[in-house]
Amino acid sequence: MERRDFLKISALSGAAAALDACGNPEHQLIRFIPEEDLTPGIATWKPSVCTLCPAGCGMLVRVMQGDAEVVRKGQLGLLKMGLAKKLEGNPAHPVNEGKLCPRGQAGLQVTYHPDRIRTPLVRSGPRGSGQFKEVTWDEATKQLAGQLSALASGKQQDRLAMVVPPLRGVKKSLLGAFAAALKAPAPVEFAFLDGGVVAAADAASFGPAEPPTADLGHSNYVLSFGADFLGTWNSPVAQSLAYGRMRAGRPGKRGKLVHFEPRISLTAGNADEWIPCRPGTEGALALSLCHVILRDKLAPAADAGHAGTLIEGWAQGLPDFDPEKAEQQTGVPAATIVRIAHEAATHQPAVALAGDSATAHTSGLFNALAVNALNALLGSAGKPGGILFTPAWTPSLGKTAEKSQAGGTLPALVKRIQSGPDAVKALLLFGANPVFAAPAAMQVREALEKVPFIASFGSFIDETSILADVILPDHSPLESWLDDAPVSGTARTVAKVAAPAMEPVHNTRGTPDVLLDVAHQLGGEAATALPWKSYDEALKAAFAPLQHEKGSVSATDPDEFWSKVREQGGWWSAEEKSLPVGGGKGSGVAATAAAPAFDGGADAYAFHLLPFATQMQYDGSLAHLPWMQEAPDPLSTVMWGSWVELNPATAKKLGIEQGNLVEVASQHGSVRAPALLAPGIAPDVVAMPVGQGHESFTRYASERGANPIAILAPMTVTGTDALAWAATRVKVARVGEGKIILFGARLHEMPEDVKHR
Amino acid sequence: MTTKTPEQINEDLLRPLEGTSPRYLAALTFFVLVVLAGAAAFLHQVYAGLGVTGLNRPVFWGFYITDFVFWIGLSHAGTLISAILRLSNATWRRPVTRCAEVITVFALSIGAMFPVVHLGRPWLAFWLFPYPSERGIWPNIRSPLLWDFFAINTYLLGSVTFLVLPILPDMALVRDRTTGWKKKLYHVLSLGWTGTPRQWSRLEMAMRIMAVAVIPVAVSVHSIVSWDFAMAPVPGWHSTIFAPYFVCGAIFSGIAALIIAMALLRKFLHLEDYLLRIHFENLGKLLLVMSLLWFYFVFAERLTTWYGNGSSEMAVFWPTQSGSYAPLFWAMVVCNFVIPFPILAIKKLRTIAGTVVASIGVVIGMWLERFLIIVPSLSHKYLPYSYGSYRPSFTEIIITVATFAGLAMLYMLFSKIIPIISVWELKAGEVTETATAPALARPEQVRAD
Amino acid sequence: MVIDLDRCTGCEACVVACHAENNIATVGEDQAARARAMHWIRVERYYEGEFPNVKTKFMPVPCQQCGAAPCEPVCPTFASYHTIEGLNGQVYNRCIGTRYCANACPYNTRFFNFYNPVWDKPLDLQLNPDVSVRSEGIMEKCTFCVQRIKAGEVQAAAEKRLVKDGEIQPACVQSCPTQAMVFGDLSDPESEASRLARSNRATRLLDELGTFPKVTYLQRGSWHDNENA
Ligand SMILES: Nc1nc2c(c(=O)[nH]1)N[C@H]1C(S)=C(S)[C@@H](COP(=O)(O)OP(=O)(O)OC[C@H]3O[C@@H](n4cnc5c(=O)[nH]c(N)nc54)[C@H](O)[C@@H]3O)O[C@H]1N2
Ligand SMILES: Nc1nc2c(c(=O)[nH]1)N[C@H]1C(S)=C(S)[C@@H](COP(=O)(O)OP(=O)(O)OC[C@H]3O[C@@H](n4cnc5c(=O)[nH]c(N)nc54)[C@H](O)[C@@H]3O)O[C@H]1N2
Ligand code: SF4
Ligand code: SF4
Ligand code: SF4
Ligand code: SF4
Ligand code: SF4
Repeated sequence: MERRDFLKISALSGAAAALDACGNPEHQLIRFIPEEDLTPGIATWKPSVCTLCPAGCGMLVRVMQGDAEVVRKGQLGLLKMGLAKKLEGNPAHPVNEGKLCPRGQAGLQVTYHPDRIRTPLVRSGPRGSGQFKEVTWDEATKQLAGQLSALASGKQQDRLAMVVPPLRGVKKSLLGAFAAALKAPAPVEFAFLDGGVVAAADAASFGPAEPPTADLGHSNYVLSFGADFLGTWNSPVAQSLAYGRMRAGRPGKRGKLVHFEPRISLTAGNADEWIPCRPGTEGALALSLCHVILRDKLAPAADAGHAGTLIEGWAQGLPDFDPEKAEQQTGVPAATIVRIAHEAATHQPAVALAGDSATAHTSGLFNALAVNALNALLGSAGKPGGILFTPAWTPSLGKTAEKSQAGGTLPALVKRIQSGPDAVKALLLFGANPVFAAPAAMQVREALEKVPFIASFGSFIDETSILADVILPDHSPLESWLDDAPVSGTARTVAKVAAPAMEPVHNTRGTPDVLLDVAHQLGGEAATALPWKSYDEALKAAFAPLQHEKGSVSATDPDEFWSKVREQGGWWSAEEKSLPVGGGKGSGVAATAAAPAFDGGADAYAFHLLPFATQMQYDGSLAHLPWMQEAPDPLSTVMWGSWVELNPATAKKLGIEQGNLVEVASQHGSVRAPALLAPGIAPDVVAMPVGQGHESFTRYASERGANPIAILAPMTVTGTDALAWAATRVKVARVGEGKIILFGARLHEMPEDVKHR
Repeated sequence: MTTKTPEQINEDLLRPLEGTSPRYLAALTFFVLVVLAGAAAFLHQVYAGLGVTGLNRPVFWGFYITDFVFWIGLSHAGTLISAILRLSNATWRRPVTRCAEVITVFALSIGAMFPVVHLGRPWLAFWLFPYPSERGIWPNIRSPLLWDFFAINTYLLGSVTFLVLPILPDMALVRDRTTGWKKKLYHVLSLGWTGTPRQWSRLEMAMRIMAVAVIPVAVSVHSIVSWDFAMAPVPGWHSTIFAPYFVCGAIFSGIAALIIAMALLRKFLHLEDYLLRIHFENLGKLLLVMSLLWFYFVFAERLTTWYGNGSSEMAVFWPTQSGSYAPLFWAMVVCNFVIPFPILAIKKLRTIAGTVVASIGVVIGMWLERFLIIVPSLSHKYLPYSYGSYRPSFTEIIITVATFAGLAMLYMLFSKIIPIISVWELKAGEVTETATAPALARPEQVRAD
Repeated sequence: MVIDLDRCTGCEACVVACHAENNIATVGEDQAARARAMHWIRVERYYEGEFPNVKTKFMPVPCQQCGAAPCEPVCPTFASYHTIEGLNGQVYNRCIGTRYCANACPYNTRFFNFYNPVWDKPLDLQLNPDVSVRSEGIMEKCTFCVQRIKAGEVQAAAEKRLVKDGEIQPACVQSCPTQAMVFGDLSDPESEASRLARSNRATRLLDELGTFPKVTYLQRGSWHDNENA
């Protein structure tokens, strides 16, 4: 007897046995025939890709056999299948060398989340009510295809919009190709934290339009302007690895880290010197350092090359930024500026980084350009121990993809929707959550409510997808074909790909496959432009050219190459080679832009609001994972909630005690959260974590904490269209008793406890 | 003491056994209901988990262990005091000893429940017992919890014996005075006591031996209870003073409990002619000595801690002296010293009412002391990151209250069945008052009636 | 185990790794508010000084696997015991929940199951089959990932060789993005962990209590202007 036949028979008898198994409902489920051979208790490791932030770390998934309740062909039953049990870094991967951050490890809970959308849904109540009914995939895709072909037959393809999180690699190409084939505008990329300002500054100063990779492992002196590179900024795992080497990886040598920011972030907490500066003045500070270096002839002005010429007054030695003036502007003592400038200039390689709040003021682009000039002056651009640029992989899926019209920004899309009835007739959402992650003043929700048809491909009902008419749930990352092309964290070209680490648990479908399916249903040009039967075929095609490059995989034929690439979790170039630095094409920003502008007058709104991404919830997209809710925030130790961080002196002045409920109000709205008194924040700044305050985002995140993004002013960074999310002023008042859950170091009990120690 | 005839003594002391008043029934019902509420709370805790308490990390012990130490301490009211009084031939002890010994047995039984009540898995409590199990492992004799097991059981056994032996003649007395089913009951309870000279001399001998033996046992019990704490490297616990400090505190609270019990019995059982002011005054003097001794221990302990200025010790010291636990600490000092000291020291105030007020203070104060030994230390253990705090839950409070009701209930039931004042000893006292006879009455004197 | 505080950033990757590896229950908001959250390894954060001269310090604290562990003698049922390899073992099914061990542990690294743990389905599928789940009334704590140690030893024995230095990595060590943690055999003087434990930056937590902790902390370095010039 064949093994398969035997299994079929045993499955049948299992089903028969189930009929008379009474009481325990689990025993009444039918048992499906297992599709893969796994030895119980023996783990296998499968490569995968972490998709939870733009860093793009490589993973290994520990897969073990287990019994899962799954849906197959519309039927619920038990299946012995490979289940992901643990996520670890892929040691071979150039970005993260076997390590993962806490968020990456919690990715496991995305797959097994109890509130994942398990099957396609169609709205059954009023829009936004959260009432949906389950439908089959046929019905759901038919609805979607119907809408798209109606647009096509009315020649209204330009009235289709797509909103995606920032994409890379083949997936970006595929979505681009899909939009182009449909003759629709390219997808609108949106995320609260995007590296756009830094990339624009890098393009202007050095050429490559991407965030830098700091080669900290070889640095002796690191100046960080706001960038929380050990926490959430850019490529945290790669940067943490390099930081570890900078601290204790070189016998007899230990690099110094200086961090400028009005609040102690994770990175500031690890700095040898944390120097609070006035919000938005980081660029002036960087230029003042340059001024001292030039004045004291520690380096000639010409060393900064193009990056220097972008700064007004560079050739004159930056007269406007002498330390005394800078002290007035930034609040950092002139003597400190002089000392730091000398230390940095005499302890090369030294490197400077700008990010997070420093680039989220109206002066953000100026700040980034100034820090670039400092880097250039310190001789660290493109040098070991300085900043490098990843020669990122840009796959091609043929001509169509590149042809699509510009998609524009989210504010532009909102404007377009509101420009007239039916200006946008259909909107496709690919996991982005702009209703949560954009300021209420941007009116994203109001705009989306006007769009006649919304389809979502997300896995969860969040503030945005709750507005959808149809939900076509994607597989979880572990159940999907994945690819990525990191743009920082390494000086190698990296092209990552991973086959599904496990079978899907629910009745979901990979979104790329659904799009291909829809394109084929539409027929005509759409079908010919997207000829692949499935996403993995497209991936294979996109990867094929790499076979002939010098890299981590050598193979003689395409099939062997493809299988080796999958086994390894991707392909990376043999050589570490930073993109060339110097040929910056951009123009500068006037020095007048050094003064940040703020929303709200200083009299009525006495405090700067500093939103920040957290180690656990990131930008809020991970607030639904119980591990991320219960892991204490490293600095505040808060669990299961959010907080308003206040300097104790400020709190005292306002009559606020630890845990009191506090209202933070801007010109655009107000939020309430408990107060946390922390010594590491400037007295005129209040900080709030972004990530909590979801109205609707599963049982673990809904109605928990407050979302400071909601009350931000819709200001932009001068010279870009990026949101200046650190430019809002607020007022703060105690409104009552509150509740704050701390894991450790209960500050409210500390005063009496420490006073005598 | 007004001289009573043996017949009057019989009448007075056996009266409670003969009828029940509605007031008695109402009070008993009340206590039984409270005990049942406590039992229900415990069952709920077993079913749901220890999460229903206010315990947390790092305060893993709270009300239950406080209650444990408190009740074991209270148990020193009886057997120990009565043994000392017996050995020192204090004649005024005669009406007092039995009600004291009863407190011991009941308080000890209640205290002994708490190591089970506080377990995460109380259904496995028998794993603490040293029996040869199929699991092939004996309990860990290095654990002070095991020492507790032996100490408490030894003390309980000793106390029960100490209590039961001198009850036998009284049981025989009741047996001889009743008829019907009661006669049968007391026939059994008197264990064949006929009052032969042999029996009297054996009883006398046994009581002498027990009185000597029970004193080191009693001292060891509370020393061992103190070592539950002192053996662990916890700031505020790890101290050599703990054993004598605990024994002193135990006797202190025990005397206070005895005074309160006597006052209640005197009032409700109309024993005004037997429990006299002199008894209260004498016990009050003892209480005064213990109060001073207690104060001395607390002072010595606090002073050395403060002078030593160890950082982790001070992290416990200051919250107790002037931080969040200070109200409790100073309330304890008021209850254990500031109130009792003047009352007991000034002769005019050392009345029955006075000693009772002082005693109530001491009982409350000593409960607080146990709490203050446990909770501030656990909530400030070394690494400040893990400092914590503790609030009891309703479950813990109701179980604690129920144990007080439990003592009252047991006491009421006991006093219905067995004369709460030793009849024959009292008679012996009446006779020997003038004759300076040995502690134990001679048989013929009792047989005389 | 050696933890280099100069590398550690307080990122808590180790915390989440330990949850994933060891089936540590998430207790939920209400229980977390009652100080019953379980983190076998925690990152302690201390502030020193006042604005603007504030220093922040991070210190990951797992069970120190004390050589003379105060949690062991007090356990009446030998649920907390010393293994032949010198680890502090915890036998869950022997524990009756006295919590005495947790009081005795100076490092507060023991965690108690106040209720039965709950995994909202299908989150139960994440459970590691190599590690048991603990029920109500039971004490639990960091085991140095004993399941990984055993697996490594069995593997080495099957291949008739000794365990190689660095071959066995507890989940927290495996994950640590700064490579702040090093795990190895302290009885082998050549192991990386032994070598680091002899460093002049080496200290042990609450060493004065005589618990002989097996976790060595390497103190943070400081930066001197002339040193690196
Ligand atoms: N929660 C919990 N888990 C435990 C234990 C526990 O007490 N509680 N005990 C542990 C112990 S000691 C053990 S041994 C394991 C046991 O674990 P398993 O080996 O999983 O034991 P069962 O669930 O009893 O049986 C396995 C399957 O075998 C099927 N079966 C029965 N007869 C036959 C047959 O002739 N041929 C085939 N091919 N299949 C058959 C049954 O229908 C069932 O689906 O569980 C361990 N896990
Ligand atoms: N109806 C039915 N009967 C079955 C089975 C079934 O599937 N159905 N399964 C069978 C199988 S596969 C098995 S393995 C057996 C299991 O049967 P048992 O071996 O009886 O298993 P347990 O009930 O787990 O009991 C183990 C005992 O060990 C004690 N114990 C815990 N820790 C220790 C320790 O460290 N040392 C010692 N000495 N004792 C300890 C526990 O208190 C417990 O009482 O049951 C068999 N019987
Ligand atoms: S940094 Fe963390 S979240 Fe981002 S890709 Fe890497 S592991 Fe994932
Ligand atoms: S993972 Fe490493 S760096 Fe992060 S907190 Fe733990 S020990 Fe520190
Ligand atoms: S809680 Fe468990 S492990 Fe701890 S001492 Fe008690 S029985 Fe032992
Ligand atoms: S750290 Fe605590 S739990 Fe671990 S061995 Fe030491 S005393 Fe025991
Ligand atoms: S060694 Fe294992 S059990 Fe201990 S903290 Fe690390 S991951 Fe957790």
